[in-house]
Amino acid sequence: MMNVDPGALNELLEESQDLQADAMRPTHAAIEELVELNHSSRDDDRTDNERFYDEHRAGVASSVGGAALLSAAGGLALVGVLASSAAAMSTQDVQILQTAASIENLAVSTYKTALTLPYIGGASANGVIRKFAQVTMSQHAQHAEAFNAAVRQLGGTAQTKPDPAFVPVVDKAVKSLSGVSAAAGTLGVVGLALELENIAAETYVKDTVLASAAVNKALFASIMGVEAQHVAVLLAVQALLKADAPTLISLAPGTAAKLPSVAGSVGFPNAFYKTNSAAPATQGAVK
Amino acid sequence: MMNEPQNEFQGTERELLAMTKELDDLHNDVGMPAMWAGVANVVENFKGETMAKAASRRNFLVGMGGVLAGGAALLTIGANPVLAGAATRFGATPGGHERADAFPPSGLTGDLAVAAVAASLENLAVFTYNAGLAAATAGKLGKVPPAVATFATTALSQHKQHAEAWNAVLAENHKAKVTVTNPSLTPVVKSDFAKVTDIPGLANLALVLETIAAETYQAETSKLMSSAAIGLSASIQPVEMQHIAVLYYVLGEYPGVQSASGSPLAFSPITKAV
Repeated sequence: MMNVDPGALNELLEESQDLQADAMRPTHAAIEELVELNHSSRDDDRTDNERFYDEHRAGVASSVGGAALLSAAGGLALVGVLASSAAAMSTQDVQILQTAASIENLAVSTYKTALTLPYIGGASANGVIRKFAQVTMSQHAQHAEAFNAAVRQLGGTAQTKPDPAFVPVVDKAVKSLSGVSAAAGTLGVVGLALELENIAAETYVKDTVLASAAVNKALFASIMGVEAQHVAVLLAVQALLKADAPTLISLAPGTAAKLPSVAGSVGFPNAFYKTNSAAPATQGAVK
Repeated sequence: MMNEPQNEFQGTERELLAMTKELDDLHNDVGMPAMWAGVANVVENFKGETMAKAASRRNFLVGMGGVLAGGAALLTIGANPVLAGAATRFGATPGGHERADAFPPSGLTGDLAVAAVAASLENLAVFTYNAGLAAATAGKLGKVPPAVATFATTALSQHKQHAEAWNAVLAENHKAKVTVTNPSLTPVVKSDFAKVTDIPGLANLALVLETIAAETYQAETSKLMSSAAIGLSASIQPVEMQHIAVLYYVLGEYPGVQSASGSPLAFSPITKAV
């Protein structure tokens, strides 16, 4: 089991943020390119939004399964955060960037709530899962900032709300998690996070094509793989939890030798990343 | 599924070979159709304005629709890549003499040149995983954890599919397929592979190659012109990133893109892109 030193983690996150500032500098330097783009309007894809909602309402319900939990306090907090929703604006790049920011906002609030749970963020939690949730929440916050910075450069309004189509779905999932065991709760949170991460990854893969500006394509490209890695980790964690092998969720030396065969491939099931769960471009746009 | 004894891989050479053959069979029976389904999925999602826009922006369009139509013919092409070296010949000079160092081949520009480089990188990954599995089979890397063997065989299969996808793009545009490993990186990889004596060493080498591939796709995603090529590149980059995450986990490190000092990164860099 990995032991996490909070002080060391903070240093790690600070260092990471510094590095990110350096890494994002070229993106910000080139972002002026955005304002020269063709700001063509795009009709709202209401049909896509409705399809997305229907599909993922079922998807998250199944990922959470019958296990029901997330503590009442945590669950209510998330419900509160998710209560308001977003809508649509004008240009295509602005809209897809706002939608991306709304997905990131949803992810941040979900991880934030999950970390209030003793079996995710508490002392009794698996060290790797806890650190993953902490680091991943921080990364999603940085992604939201980056997307909103790009929105502002285009003269748009920053999206500070969560994805509206997904809010009721996550809300329902959170409520259904109430009162279950730590093991079932951990599995439920992992399933919910997995669903959100995959939607993010698939959306950004699609957005690399939809975005008009090269700088936005580059931004999506720099994030989509990070979300895909989150998916890979969560798939592996989910498999190990389902196999009742939580002790193998560890970075301790020698762990790899003990992993079952399937753990080597469960994290990357497809040779080509799909986009059929991608959020419609205008779903999270500011109206 | 996961309740089997969690000990080290005790397989024999025959078992490891059988595992590799099984993956090859899976590649042909499931992987290739899945590949075309995956690429079709990318194309399907990008139909309409983006494809038309790309066509107007460049004289040649990487015709993914045609690629899909030609996919069946590609099912029979599954040879392992040839290792690039001094005897490798690419392209041609104006005088008709072939040059060893012309890569991508001189007839390729723009998106097609990127396709050739991508195929060569995938070929290099295929070569390396094949060599690693062969070394493991020969007992040169010590005990092989079962998860590592599964990782290598699955990643190998996926890299083959990636190479085939890029070569399908080249073929559809009446260009020769790239069947060699990347000439620039091959000597370094050969040298590094010769020093590999254990599984962590092989994992570290694979990590470097996967990182180069992922960062190259990431960098090219904003430079490619045709929507289909962007979509293909963008559909592969996250998979290479997932390979990276698993490799880090195998090595006992944080399972995500990170700095040299091990700090997790929220944005993947492109400093190792070729």
